[in-house]
Amino acid sequence: MRRSIGTPLRVGAVAAATALALVLLGGVLGRAPEEPQVAAEPVAVTPVDRLEQTIQRSQERLRRVPGDWHTWASLGMAYLERARITADPTYYPKAEAAVRRSLAVKPDGNTDALVAQGALANARHDFAAARRVALAAVKTNGYHADAYAVLADAETQLGHSADATAAVQRLLDLRPGLSAYARASYDLEQRGLTDQASDLMRRALATAVDRHDMAFCRNQLGDLALNAGDLAAADAEYAAGLAAEPSSVALQRGRARVAAMSGRTDEALSAYASLTRRAPTPSYLIEYAELLRSAGREADAMAQLRLATAAHKLFTGNGGVDGLTGAALAAATGQPATALREARAEWARRKHADVADMLAWALHLSNRDIDSLAYARRASATGARSAIYAYHLGMIELSLGDRAAAKQHLTMALEINPHFSPLDAPAARQALANLGSS
Amino acid sequence: MTRLVVGLAAVPAAVLAVVLVPAAPASAHPLGNFSVNEYLGLTLSADRVEASAVVDIAEIPTLQDRSDVDGDGDGSASDTERYSYAATTCADLAAGVDGRAGGQRLVWTVERAEFAYSPGTGGLEVSRLGCWLTAPAALDAPTEVRVDNRYLADRVGWREMTATGVGLRLVDSTVPSHSVSEGLRRYPEDLLASALNVRSATIRVEPGAGTGVEDSAAVLSGGGDPLSRWMAAVDRRFQGLAGGTLTPLVGLLAVLLAILLGAGHAALPGHGKTILAAYLAGRRGRPRDALTVAGTVTLTHTGGVLALGLLLTAGTAVAGEEILGWLGLASGALVVAVGVTMLAGLLRRRGRGQHDHLAGHHHTHSHDHDHDRDHLGHDSNTHEQGRRRSGRLGLAGIGLAGGLVPSPSALVVLLAAIGLGRTGFGVLLVIAYGAGMAATLTGAGLILLELQRRMTGAALATGAGPGGLITGLARLTARLHTATPVATAGLVLLVGAGLAARAATGVF
Repeated sequence: MRRSIGTPLRVGAVAAATALALVLLGGVLGRAPEEPQVAAEPVAVTPVDRLEQTIQRSQERLRRVPGDWHTWASLGMAYLERARITADPTYYPKAEAAVRRSLAVKPDGNTDALVAQGALANARHDFAAARRVALAAVKTNGYHADAYAVLADAETQLGHSADATAAVQRLLDLRPGLSAYARASYDLEQRGLTDQASDLMRRALATAVDRHDMAFCRNQLGDLALNAGDLAAADAEYAAGLAAEPSSVALQRGRARVAAMSGRTDEALSAYASLTRRAPTPSYLIEYAELLRSAGREADAMAQLRLATAAHKLFTGNGGVDGLTGAALAAATGQPATALREARAEWARRKHADVADMLAWALHLSNRDIDSLAYARRASATGARSAIYAYHLGMIELSLGDRAAAKQHLTMALEINPHFSPLDAPAARQALANLGSS
Repeated sequence: MTRLVVGLAAVPAAVLAVVLVPAAPASAHPLGNFSVNEYLGLTLSADRVEASAVVDIAEIPTLQDRSDVDGDGDGSASDTERYSYAATTCADLAAGVDGRAGGQRLVWTVERAEFAYSPGTGGLEVSRLGCWLTAPAALDAPTEVRVDNRYLADRVGWREMTATGVGLRLVDSTVPSHSVSEGLRRYPEDLLASALNVRSATIRVEPGAGTGVEDSAAVLSGGGDPLSRWMAAVDRRFQGLAGGTLTPLVGLLAVLLAILLGAGHAALPGHGKTILAAYLAGRRGRPRDALTVAGTVTLTHTGGVLALGLLLTAGTAVAGEEILGWLGLASGALVVAVGVTMLAGLLRRRGRGQHDHLAGHHHTHSHDHDHDRDHLGHDSNTHEQGRRRSGRLGLAGIGLAGGLVPSPSALVVLLAAIGLGRTGFGVLLVIAYGAGMAATLTGAGLILLELQRRMTGAALATGAGPGGLITGLARLTARLHTATPVATAGLVLLVGAGLAARAATGVF
């Protein structure tokens, strides 16, 4: 009797329990992807954002376990990443505070925090400090790939190209991935090996899964193509990048540059107007001003340069150091003495080719061409295929009366990229025409 | 020239080049000197929606807008110029605030507009725009109101919204009723909070008295129930101990605390206690079974923490959280497997027509703890042995599942100890932690068994016992036992699936 009732009951229970389990499992698995992390934020953000997830998870964990220095360091790194992507500087102080917390919990042998500290110093253009910290990190843990990434960035910017290459090589050996390929690509570009640089950046792109990473690789590929004067290829890269990450300011700037170089000045101007609203950094504002000036809008150009000066002043007023931007700004606003002072100071800090080039140009603007030639040659001697280095060298040689060398280098500048600058490319053409006619 | 040699393996990397990126300006405005920060405060009443908007504009954008404010270009912004700028800008803002009440679009009117400068850093100014908007809406019946702020959506900055009701009740609001930044005047400086980024609000209103609304915006506090909070506090103390100066007293205290913490940790939800209970109840377990499970949990947990700790300190790029997620998944899968095995065993035995012996009267007869001999009378020798082996395997599986996911606090302690060169001490603490866990789990198992025994005893005494309630309860459990093995297997399966699913959402 009991058996006959019990059996169906039990079979029913099994069936019900199994069904319920499956439904629950399906429900949970099915619901997860479309459930946003923050309920009150259905913003126009594409779903996969690993960085955002990392930040939220770290924040939650640290609320529970405030002594977890690993997570403090990785939160600092994530804040730094966010600052870089959004160009929102609020996150730099936050990153710094997070790294400090990590170091406060564990002051010795805390490689993660040292790496984050170095990355922060790089972001603030304090490359000497970044190098120091990265070397300390490498000493505590010689197998920490990110430590070599930070070291590579610092050595590159300091102009220690052999050390930079060694650090990049170590990074490639330890963890051949996106960050290694991207840095190796930049290293090759610095030595003028642009094709290999593009190949490596493509390989980096192939490993990228996060949309910010894809946008970064596309932007670098676009810049490589653009600096070689291949406008169509550059535009395609920027467009592909914007498809992955529509809000990227760097990619919008890339497209604006393509428009400017293609002669679509109005389109370029409106793109610059919009992107300098979003990210009014001195370097973007200087580019915008250059474009306005080439379009004959001197007053508007000056307004943008005033803005750039204000932004730069805020930066330096808060302890930031960036002589390269300061010199470029001074040169653009017709203050050769200031430009020279800033460039010299930056050269004392680091011997990067860009700084050599800037110092050469600042000396040229101060009519000290004999001194400037050495620096211009030094910038070109790195082998980097830069139209602007060649143009500056050619113009300096022209001032010194070396017409043959001037002709050679001005021609080279236009060969590398016929549209390299809205103001300087026409000037190079004009100078060449004068050289040819006389 | 050095040549770069590029390997072929490709591992996704976390960090990207910081070169070629504009230098990081130190911030003057608390949220960065080019932020544009917006606050939108909604007030809902029976016949309209009011929105008071504040835009706090940092130094650089203020300078960028300066020429728009200074209409005549004389270099100064007169009252008239500021007024007319405020009116135009507030109209732009109103166009960017997209509101709907029950499907009806909200049409905003700018009631009042203000714009003012105040001194910022570096000799620059910051500015503040205030707009008071109102839109008619019929909220005298239950309605859903949704407002999206799309004004200057691409600018970097704080985005905040609040909602309150006047003369009606806000049943369900996705935004709080009070501004945490006091209307963009004081930005909270929480290192563990990202800048607020609330751009839309959905509010259900109902007619009714009371303006108050519960703040439903998820404010993450120290965690739910008092036990969890207490545990978190002890956790922090514990982690401090591993790093402090080590005296014999401190060491002793640390070990004691580790045992206590392990015990407390095992008392928190998780660790397969539900399954353990169900399994013991369904299998009519013995005290030895409870010990088996507890022992396995302790061994697995200790081993797991040690293995993971060593893995993490080996300096690999393994993300600890990811591993925890996968382990959670494995633990869930294991429990599911145990559940399936139990079910399969039951079905097989049902095929042999002996389930009634197992589930029914047998149990009510024996509370002498000597099941084995009893069984031998009924079952063939080999079958019984097989069943016991599978039972022990099931128990070990449950123990394994319970201990497979290392507790983060034990892991952190171990890592701290290793980092401080006190690996041995760390291992000791982890073992103590495991022992604490084992104590709680064994205790729970024994209590459960004792409870079960009493129930059964009461069931035997049915006719004679005066306590009607106890008798009824006993009869109920007796009846439950009839279906127990199946229900147990189902429950184990279900809990396992739940565990796996929860872990899966973290991993994928």
